[in-house]
Amino acid sequence: MRPRWRKVLSDLIDNKARTILVVFSIAVGIFAIGVIAGAYVIISEDMGLSYAANNPSNIEIRMDDFDQDLLNTIRNFEGIKEAEARRVFNLKVRIPGETQWITVDVVSMKNFDENKINLLQPVTGGAAPEKNQILLERDVLEELNISPGENLEIQLRDETIKEIIVAGIVMDSSTGAIDFLAPPLAYITSDTLKFFAEPDQFNRIFATVETGQDDDEHIRSVIADLTDKIEKNDYGIGRTFRSKTHEHPLEPTINAVLGILMVLGVLIVFLSSSLIANTLSALLNQHLRHIGVMKLIGGQNQIIFRMYLVQLLVFGFLALLIAIPAGGQGAYWLAQYIADEMGFSLLGYRIVPLSFALQLAVGILVPLVSGFIPVINGSKVTVQKALDGDRVRRSSGEDSEGKEEGSRFEEIQVKTTRALADRGIRIPRQMLISLRNTFRQRGRLMLTLFTLTMGGAIFVSVFNVRDTLHTYVDNIGNYFMADVTLDFERPYRLEEIKQYAYQDPRVTHVEGWSYASAEILFPDGSTAENISILAPPGGSDLVSPMMIEGRWIQAGDVKKLTVAEGIYDYYPNLEVGDTIPLKINGKEEYWEVVGLFKFIGLEGVIGYAPYEYISREQNLANRSFSYRIEIQEHDLASQEVMAKDLDAYFRAQGFRVQEATPGLSTLDSAAESLDILITFLLIMALLTATVGSMGLAGTMSMNVLERTREIGIMRAIGATDLEIIRMVIVEGLLIGLLSFGLGIILAVPFTYLLSNIVSDAVFATPIAVVFTPAGYLIWLGLVIILSSLASVLPARNAARLTIREVLAYE
Amino acid sequence: MTDFQSPLIELRGVVKNYVTKAGSFPALQGIDLDIYRGEFLGVIGKSGAGKSTLLNMITGVDQISAGQVRAHTNGTSVNLDQLSENELTLWRGRNLGVIYQSFQLLPMLTLAQNVMMPMDLSGFYHPRKSKERALELLNMVELGEHIDKYPSEISGGQQQRVAIARALANDPPLLVADEPTGSLDSVTADHIFKLFQRLLDDNRTIIMVTHDQGLLPRFSRYIQIADGQLVGEGIEL
Ligand SMILES: Nc1ncnc2c1ncn2[C@@H]1O[C@H](COP(=O)(O)OP(=O)(O)O)[C@@H](O)[C@H]1O
Ligand SMILES: [Mg+2]
Repeated sequence: MRPRWRKVLSDLIDNKARTILVVFSIAVGIFAIGVIAGAYVIISEDMGLSYAANNPSNIEIRMDDFDQDLLNTIRNFEGIKEAEARRVFNLKVRIPGETQWITVDVVSMKNFDENKINLLQPVTGGAAPEKNQILLERDVLEELNISPGENLEIQLRDETIKEIIVAGIVMDSSTGAIDFLAPPLAYITSDTLKFFAEPDQFNRIFATVETGQDDDEHIRSVIADLTDKIEKNDYGIGRTFRSKTHEHPLEPTINAVLGILMVLGVLIVFLSSSLIANTLSALLNQHLRHIGVMKLIGGQNQIIFRMYLVQLLVFGFLALLIAIPAGGQGAYWLAQYIADEMGFSLLGYRIVPLSFALQLAVGILVPLVSGFIPVINGSKVTVQKALDGDRVRRSSGEDSEGKEEGSRFEEIQVKTTRALADRGIRIPRQMLISLRNTFRQRGRLMLTLFTLTMGGAIFVSVFNVRDTLHTYVDNIGNYFMADVTLDFERPYRLEEIKQYAYQDPRVTHVEGWSYASAEILFPDGSTAENISILAPPGGSDLVSPMMIEGRWIQAGDVKKLTVAEGIYDYYPNLEVGDTIPLKINGKEEYWEVVGLFKFIGLEGVIGYAPYEYISREQNLANRSFSYRIEIQEHDLASQEVMAKDLDAYFRAQGFRVQEATPGLSTLDSAAESLDILITFLLIMALLTATVGSMGLAGTMSMNVLERTREIGIMRAIGATDLEIIRMVIVEGLLIGLLSFGLGIILAVPFTYLLSNIVSDAVFATPIAVVFTPAGYLIWLGLVIILSSLASVLPARNAARLTIREVLAYE
Repeated sequence: MTDFQSPLIELRGVVKNYVTKAGSFPALQGIDLDIYRGEFLGVIGKSGAGKSTLLNMITGVDQISAGQVRAHTNGTSVNLDQLSENELTLWRGRNLGVIYQSFQLLPMLTLAQNVMMPMDLSGFYHPRKSKERALELLNMVELGEHIDKYPSEISGGQQQRVAIARALANDPPLLVADEPTGSLDSVTADHIFKLFQRLLDDNRTIIMVTHDQGLLPRFSRYIQIADGQLVGEGIEL
């Protein structure tokens, strides 16, 4: 091997700790980029394909019971390619012998073999149930541990409990894809409906469109025409959903989330670059003498430059060696995790060329770019300067300035120390040395602080964003403050229900609500979007809205409503006081918008109007299908018990109860899926913190190495191991705490930025930012631990140096 | 053997001022000097007199403030201050061997690799040829058995001999040595001088800086400098 490459190799091998530090910090960035880019590609390819593979419906209509005649009409309808009719109802199931019931949505189909839409993928057992058997979607397994061939206990509306055999487990990536808060699914054939005491009729349509399967506008217009047709046939329509064939309904959300993670990944790369720049300028500083010697014996600038360039490329290459396989694996793992959560399947492990190329580019560019300046400066240094470092530094112009500032700093320090001493406060001498050391290499200190500060700021922001999201979900909960919602199959008089409900001493408040499903129309009369109008009584305390503008509903309102800000998608310039056209109870009317409020921006629009008006319009004055009940205890456990008790009690009294649901159950699962996002954000935050503390560790060992001689002298004049270790650790801690101080300031804009991006992705609306001390406290603890850890090893090395080694050090 | 007809290096009115915070410090104040082929020139003076500064002017390691340094080596004549950094490096690699008091070997390379390095950097020798040449040179300085050792594994005198072997790697006509025996005991130093003598016999030119008056008899010619000025000179005794 030529001596120059021999030297490069020795430099890499001799200082293993430094090589590992640099390689690892490049690798962290490459890894993060690879995981996210890979997962992004895998998901966007497979999510759409796996979704489309099961021929998902473009149109779902939830409506009154209907029969084969209407299905035939729909199948022949202009623009419809295929249509299937199903009956969907919910049911409580459990494993025999256990107490916990869970709710599932049961889907019945005429014929599993002939089904063309929302196809099921077999997982285990049979793919089609026999008569009086049931198929379970694999999500059910998250809550029940059951296998094909075993029995499941079901509870019918009339409280009868029956057992049914589980035919198999399937995966359904289409039905309910839009609504990830819906209960898990189960499937039966139509001839099993009798077993469940359900009528042999349909209540849902799933259809695909002939053309424009990925054209939202087109699907919308087909739905509008189709629902007109259905309503002309005198059927009431509950809700409609639309979705494209080749795009999973949640894909935009997942892409937005991956986008956020990508931004953090890029930030990590950025941070690791500054760490590399730091390490390399220290390395070249240390190599100054070698460079001088090589120039003295005929090494031209470009040769020296090339030698260090190769060293940089080797760093990058080694990092790629670690990060590419790890990143590819991580990408697939992340994609698999998301696929499992969202209910679609991947096409299999593969190397994603895009992410491979990205990683390669990052692995080559990061060391080159961040090392370029130090290497250029190092290779340009003159022989004189290189061989005679000390004297030159003392006399050359640029550094003399720094020296002056240094002495000014010392002056300030002496003055403060004296001032403090006058007040009887004494800073230990050891502490003063650490303090002075901290500020000696200012460029290095800046870069280290930068990395650690960014890491900390992101860390703290993630915690703030977490609380922001949870607070928002809690606030959304203020629209659903009832502890139990009691739904009946037919309307009952308010007085009657209240009288019964108050029999139970736990019940503190009962309200009857109305509900109207309507359509928001465009000015030209075409349908813009479904709107669910909830109608609590005028002065209800069970809704505490986040108003943006205008006022809340009042008992005397006529044709007036408050509406969620989702309306802006259709009426971007809407103001309080404007009227909008609605199709409500089959009539087209103009309603005045009296207020706008904040709400989750997914899934249609919701609005509120007073019970007093809506119930009158529906000829249901003083009666209601649906009751909101408040009880003394508001925790989920009490709510669950109460829901069960009320259900049983009202049934026993002969009321036709449809369902009693405890208050916060749906919100809990919403919060749960947010936690997945938060977990990923936290992982990214930890990665940035890792890079930050690697930066600190690198800085501390460089500092110690450069002060070898000085430490030797301190030892020679009697400093103990402990004193030297303490000196180094205090310095590391000082840097850590300084970065903490800067980090908590920087965390403020970061929190705003991150929570805006996240809430826009998840809720499609900006939300109010909340700050929590948790992130600050945890980061404080972490920064103390990390910076002590980062200094311990260099400190021990420093203490271990013998005087002989120190004097031999050159 | 000195050829007084054609100087190898000519210094004319060489001035070097160091700019420091305290102001401009004149380290060389107008030196005129000819260095002839084949001579063993001693540069003698007290510490701080400007000896190393003078060498730096000859090697082109530092920039001259005023005056000229002309070199007539390998059949060409150049003004050092008209060469760029890179040209200077190249010129130095080809024409000069430099030896310092502190040896300046690269610690991560074996002795053989240290000696091969100048040949590798200048590209004057094919890698295989350079290996052979390095062995020859190390044999010449009587270190042929230690070629695979590292600098830290041999004594100071041995290190200086490696440095000499390295200085000879590209077969330069001129060797420049700054206190090469300064950190060696007298027996070891003797060894170095014997080596120098063999190089002189081989028609090379050597300039050597020392503060040690006692070494005077060793040189074929000497100059004495104090406070950056030539204060005396003499020819072999
Ligand atoms: N880079 C420099 N900057 C400022 N002064 C220098 C520098 N190098 C040398 N000097 C000063 O120039 C004078 C001559 O130095 P030098 O040539 O090293 O002396 P010596 O004869 O001991 O080799 C000394 O006073 C020294 O302090
Ligand atoms: Mg000197």
